[in-house]
Amino acid sequence: MLACLCAVLWHLPAVPALNRTGDPGPGPSIQKTYDLTRYLEHQLRSLAGTYLNYLGPPFNEPDFNPPRLGAETLPRATVNLEVWRSLNDRLRLTQNYEAYSHLLCYLRGLNRQAATAELRRSLAHFCTSLQGLLGSIAGVMAALGYPLPQPLPGTEPTWTPGPAHSDFLQKMDDFWLLKELQTWLWRSAKDFNRLKKKMQPPAAAVTLHLEAHGF
Amino acid sequence: MRSMVDDARIPKPGFWSNWSSWEEADAQNSLGHDPLFVFPKDKLVEEGSNVTICYVSRIHQDNISCYLEGVQIYGERLDRSVSAFELKNVSFIRKKGTNVFCKVDQGGALGGIVLFVSKVLEEPKDFSCETQDLKTLTCTWDPGSDTGLSKQPSQSYTLFESFSGKKTLCKHRNWCNWQVAQDSQETYNFTLVAENYLRKRSVSILFNLTQRVHPMTPYNLFPKNVRATNATMTWKVHSIGNNSTLLCRLELLAEGKVIQQHNVSIKVNGEYLLSELEPDTEYVARVRCAYTNHFWKWSELISQKFNTAEAAPSEAPDVWRNMKMVSGHPTVSLFWKPLSKVHANGKILFYNVIVENLDKPSRLEVLSIPAPARSTELTLDQCSYQIHVTAHNNVGPSPASVIVISGDPGNEEVESGRVNGTEDGFSVSWKPQSGDATGYVVEWCDGPQDLPCVLQWKNLGPNTTSTVISSGAFRPGVRYNFRIYEISAKRMAHLLEKKAGYLEELAPSDNPQVVMSNLTSHSFTLSWKDYSTESQPGFIQGYHVYLKPKAGEQCPPAFEKTVLPEDSVCCKHTIDNPEQKTFVVENLQPESIYEFFVTPYTSVGEGPLDAFTKITTPDEYSHILIRIILPMIFCVLIVMIICYLKRQWLKEKCYPDIPDPYKSSVLSLIKSKENPHLTIMNVNDCVPDAIEVINKPEGSKIQFLGTRKSLTETEFTKPACIYLLPTEKNYSGPGPCICFENFTYNQAASDFASCGHFPVTPQAPPHQLGPLTSPENLLKALEQNYMNSLGEIPAGEANLNYVSQLASPTSGDKDSLPTNPPEPALCSEYKMQMAIPLGLASAPPSENSSLSSATLLGQGEHYR
Repeated sequence: MLACLCAVLWHLPAVPALNRTGDPGPGPSIQKTYDLTRYLEHQLRSLAGTYLNYLGPPFNEPDFNPPRLGAETLPRATVNLEVWRSLNDRLRLTQNYEAYSHLLCYLRGLNRQAATAELRRSLAHFCTSLQGLLGSIAGVMAALGYPLPQPLPGTEPTWTPGPAHSDFLQKMDDFWLLKELQTWLWRSAKDFNRLKKKMQPPAAAVTLHLEAHGF
Repeated sequence: MRSMVDDARIPKPGFWSNWSSWEEADAQNSLGHDPLFVFPKDKLVEEGSNVTICYVSRIHQDNISCYLEGVQIYGERLDRSVSAFELKNVSFIRKKGTNVFCKVDQGGALGGIVLFVSKVLEEPKDFSCETQDLKTLTCTWDPGSDTGLSKQPSQSYTLFESFSGKKTLCKHRNWCNWQVAQDSQETYNFTLVAENYLRKRSVSILFNLTQRVHPMTPYNLFPKNVRATNATMTWKVHSIGNNSTLLCRLELLAEGKVIQQHNVSIKVNGEYLLSELEPDTEYVARVRCAYTNHFWKWSELISQKFNTAEAAPSEAPDVWRNMKMVSGHPTVSLFWKPLSKVHANGKILFYNVIVENLDKPSRLEVLSIPAPARSTELTLDQCSYQIHVTAHNNVGPSPASVIVISGDPGNEEVESGRVNGTEDGFSVSWKPQSGDATGYVVEWCDGPQDLPCVLQWKNLGPNTTSTVISSGAFRPGVRYNFRIYEISAKRMAHLLEKKAGYLEELAPSDNPQVVMSNLTSHSFTLSWKDYSTESQPGFIQGYHVYLKPKAGEQCPPAFEKTVLPEDSVCCKHTIDNPEQKTFVVENLQPESIYEFFVTPYTSVGEGPLDAFTKITTPDEYSHILIRIILPMIFCVLIVMIICYLKRQWLKEKCYPDIPDPYKSSVLSLIKSKENPHLTIMNVNDCVPDAIEVINKPEGSKIQFLGTRKSLTETEFTKPACIYLLPTEKNYSGPGPCICFENFTYNQAASDFASCGHFPVTPQAPPHQLGPLTSPENLLKALEQNYMNSLGEIPAGEANLNYVSQLASPTSGDKDSLPTNPPEPALCSEYKMQMAIPLGLASAPPSENSSLSSATLLGQGEHYR
């Protein structure tokens, strides 16, 4: 029995989960990214309220749910549950990265159009935070060894209201932009939570290992 | 459609062209495939406009609702697929536009427009142009409000000059620069045009360039050659054109107020000598300039601060003194007030005090006291002194202040008066005493009497007989004492009057400590002699004595009934003399409880209502009893002490162990009063009939007398008495217990002795003594013996009954009875010697029997 215990203690540093001096892996990055999405969710709740009031009724009414007329270019966050479950990590992260790249671009256009200084400050602050989230996702992807998606030439999203785009439709786009952003942040929280659980170290393996020796 | 030219260069009104011909268009088909269209798209209108909105639908119109800012609106149906809504007098809501939208209730189709409502463009206000250098014109205006719609940029401003025909688009909303032409154009006609998408507004001014010169701010303003009373100021200005002159205004300020103002015409350099300045004073000089040819506006101000130089103090310090005796020497405290800034002319460094003896020539004593000291103390002698005080600054001394101190303080007792305080202070007045007064001084202390005096004084002119003394330190309820001095021509001060007053009298804050004394059944005395009337918050006018009698009792005569603040009724007596500090409360009831309370009162009111002190008047006669009983007790004590100290003497005199008939004072009394022929019977002269020798233990006697036990049990347990027959006349050997029996004496009296009279032998058995074993028998025997003896007493000898009891163990006869060694001495029996008058003996038998009983008891007591 004593010999077994000594053998376990001798091999203990070799157990990967207990080796504190090694590379922590992508776990902490994923946790930080998850925390950032939750923070942005909270921040967006305040910003969207202010901005929709700035647009005026009906956009600031709680039950306003217009058809998605001119916002076809916005990346959709909603996806079939089975499809979402079947996504692999790389695809999941790639979709997040691409969505926020587009949304950030649209958001900056929104900032340029804002008439009040206070609103511009709030939007600028949010854009900075969103830029941080984008960098954080890129960091997770790099830690997992996934390459960053390269934007195809000519597909760079632009903020061009255009003469045919009426002001009312533009307000609808703004509304949908904020709504999609909110949905994406919610989806990202789910994504990163799933990823976080997946990347957690197999602590139970140590227990099983010890039990195998009769403890 | 028609058209019109709109250009500022073309005078208005313009002319409209003719209307074009009508063109037809199929709106519905040209729109597209959307189910709902709302028009006009993104319309910009002015506030107050009427706007018509319509929608074109491809579906049934009953399901379509339209909203303005979330509020449903109802319009007119123009066609199967077209409806119109008229919005009247639209107003500005937000920069992002007013939202109008229509939606299909079930289908989810939605269409809308944003209506941009702009505020009406305002005409620029306060439009003016001016130049600083005749080279550039700067035009300014107030643009008014700007809607700032996202659909419409801010209004633009264009400056147009009609004489030259030039125009410039202004880069700023409220000002614009215009370069003056080199061709010396003097007159300008400017038109400022404000323009947005909806409206154009303009305003014009016409002016001469030289009449719109606003010089630049002067610079390099400096003081030069600054002295105590003057300084030269220099400055520079920017030149305007060639040989242009500027009018500059130089102002001098002291403590924020303009005290001097000078106009100076200059070209480039300005200079001016400011005079009549105060020494050591901070001034501010400021200057501004205007175009001399035509005044349009002053330039901006430039300021410079400077200080004038110091000068010697211009006025003597205000000096006063206070004299007192310290250790027998006159001591003078000198006080002076710091010189005002106006008179100090600089920082006072020290004060010089020069003391000059006026009575005898001596050296001047000079004291230098550094500032900021305000007093010094001088110890002088009985001579008169003249004291000079000067204040010194960096430049020199002030004029001297002279005061003369007399060595003889004189009689400064003067009458005291009162002074009334008002809001402004104390109005003090006095009567001049001599005609040669050079001035008066009123002196007082700023603080209350119980605090160290901060001496204050006020100098007044010779013709003044009143003044108002005011001080921020005066407080209500504090007594202030004022002394008025007259300053003679010799600079000496004499006390004229004393005044005391309160700024505002208050009610007393505390009550005196009252001592109650002389309490009798009908009165008591109250006194509060320690109460000081001087240190009260008002002039004490008297005292109120409150008395609470017992319930239902009337007030004593000097009191009147009053109601206290707490609604209790009590009696009040008013003492209107503040110096009367005792009061006798009279006409009280004995053995009653009274409560009293004394409070002073001023003109404002009386002191606080404190707790009453309770007393109880004593019984009416108790004092009399005390007066009698106490001396008696004292006397008795004295007698007892004397008796104790002289107990030996008393014993010898009154109850010696061995009474000596010759020494008995009783005998002498009887002898002198009753029978002068009474003599002392000598034992040797008697012929005894029988001799009883009794020998019995002492303890048995005690038992007999104390416990009344039977004689058979006690006395005769051991034969105690030996009865001797009187056969030998000269027998002189008494035993330890010897009874002499002489039948010339009263037999009854002798029977009281413990020894029996039965002629028994010593061997007689105890039972033979039966008749005496009980008290009844004893009394009977006594009666019988007494009756017998009365009949047997010879007439010649019946005047004295004498019972002689001699049992003296100390007599020399003890040696004659060797058969009874020491024992008998312990039981020596004492028999009272009595000389009973015959009259007493012949009393009725009943009385005699009682007397005998008493004698028996007395005998018994003696034994005990």
